[in-house]
Amino acid sequence: MDITGRNICKSFHHKPVIKNVSISIPSGEIICLLGPSGAGKTTLIRLLIGAIPTDEGEIRYGQTLIPNLALLKKIGFMPQNDAIYEDLSGTGNLSFFAELYGMRKKDYMGRIDEVLRLVDLKEDSGKPVREYSGGMKKRLSLAAALLHEPEVLLLDEPTVGIDPVLRKAIWVQLKKLKEQGKTIIVSTHVMDEVTECDKAALIYQGQLIQYDTVSNLLSLTKSNKIEELFFLAADKKGGDAAC
Amino acid sequence: MLSLAKRVIHQILGDKRTLALMVFAPLLILSLIYLLLGDSGYKPSIAIDESKLPEALVTALKEQEADIINAAAAASDPDKYLKNNKQVDAVFSMSQSASSITMYESSSKSGEAMKAIRGALEALNPAMKMDTRYVYGGEDDSTFQTMGYIFLGVIAFFFIFIISGMALVRERNSGTLERMLMTPIKRRSIIGGYTIGYGIFAIIQTIILVLFNIYVLGLSSKGNVLWVILIMLLLAITAVALGEFISIFANSEFQVVQFIPLIIIPQIFFSGLIPLDTLPYHLGVLSYVMPIYYGCTAIKKIMVYGYGFGGIWFFLLALTVYIALLSTFNTLVLKKYRKL
Repeated sequence: MDITGRNICKSFHHKPVIKNVSISIPSGEIICLLGPSGAGKTTLIRLLIGAIPTDEGEIRYGQTLIPNLALLKKIGFMPQNDAIYEDLSGTGNLSFFAELYGMRKKDYMGRIDEVLRLVDLKEDSGKPVREYSGGMKKRLSLAAALLHEPEVLLLDEPTVGIDPVLRKAIWVQLKKLKEQGKTIIVSTHVMDEVTECDKAALIYQGQLIQYDTVSNLLSLTKSNKIEELFFLAADKKGGDAAC
Repeated sequence: MLSLAKRVIHQILGDKRTLALMVFAPLLILSLIYLLLGDSGYKPSIAIDESKLPEALVTALKEQEADIINAAAAASDPDKYLKNNKQVDAVFSMSQSASSITMYESSSKSGEAMKAIRGALEALNPAMKMDTRYVYGGEDDSTFQTMGYIFLGVIAFFFIFIISGMALVRERNSGTLERMLMTPIKRRSIIGGYTIGYGIFAIIQTIILVLFNIYVLGLSSKGNVLWVILIMLLLAITAVALGEFISIFANSEFQVVQFIPLIIIPQIFFSGLIPLDTLPYHLGVLSYVMPIYYGCTAIKKIMVYGYGFGGIWFFLLALTVYIALLSTFNTLVLKKYRKL
């Protein structure tokens, strides 16, 4: 499912956070939202999923304008904070979310097993989440987003606090999902991870400063490092896009 | 909706302290109130100057449930005597024109002393004897027996209010509310699910509370106890709805606690503890916005007056309307987080 955002603006308390961003994301690709912390990545993701309304502009999934209740079934969302229930076990959390998506028990039990294996939590699935480590919580949160086999995945910093081995495993999984035709949007502030994506959207101070394939973006730099593009943007002061 | 209710139940079962707080804390507090307000069987001590009182009166006084102390100093300067002898509750003396009672301070002990002196005077002069009768309740009922129903309502309300209010604030702060709203769940299912989940615990809590009150603490009910359970359940559901409502205005669990004085304490005063028609400036009408007023009044009508459905339908209706209004409002407020 293609996602198109047109002239998206969002302010919090009269302070613009997202400034006139237009972006079109074709299906079956992994898009990285790249930017320093505070750039507006999380806000953009929450706008794209419809968790907060846009001040101006519109977002469509295919032809459907969001927010749309039926559409939510096709979207998987992993927020930046873990957003899972500490008092419940891993399986308890996943069964709850599965039921919210209207899955039936006999269908979701197998699926829960699958995603738990995927994030390597099978053995700890019966433990209450409050006994999990930070990384385990993150993985459970990812499992909850994958549970209902969504067509579009929006993951807000999914690899923060996850060790390199597991991080690699997650990227392998994301690429597999991509091959199944799923659209994946991942935000990160780890510049190295950009090589895992098909396209990168560089966000700086609420603006989309670059959006292209990773190889094209790297060819713009001298050092072959994506950071350079942010340094360029920082030097180029002014020129704020008006809303 | 049911999956959310199921989750709430799993969460409470997984959190043993909350579970214990909901079930045992009310019992503990009620037992404490019972001990504080129950019949103490206190024997007051009264000081008199036997030489200055008629002999018949002294004899009559000694027949009362009281310790009579003979002290000449008591009659001459009763204030000083009482200050120096703290164990004495009252000084009784008599002159040609009048008899006088001096007491240390106004308290339930001084009330007992008064009762003993009145008893002695009545014994001497049978024509003075006043036969006191109440249409409902007896003269010897303890404060707990006449007021117990209020605490039943207040306590049922209080605990559920705190727990449900906190749970929703926590859900909002941890981001799980946003995550939940990013699934196709309907807003009214969220409010409904919460109400059902806590409602089930409210049923358990209510039944334990009522049975404990009647069979352990000996609070009697003239009417059918099932009506009491129904009212307390409605009251608990109102508490869930009010907890959800408050969580909208509270940014943290700490702020929920700050709402307790505002929401709970006035309701306790308007629950029937104080007769409402004696309040100045028609403040009594404030009770109509307080759910505990409806709950406690209805409980009183059943337990004390022995009414049935005919006597309480209005209060049941009022609580139901309260729940419906709050739930609708809460569902609308969730729009803040998701338009649909």
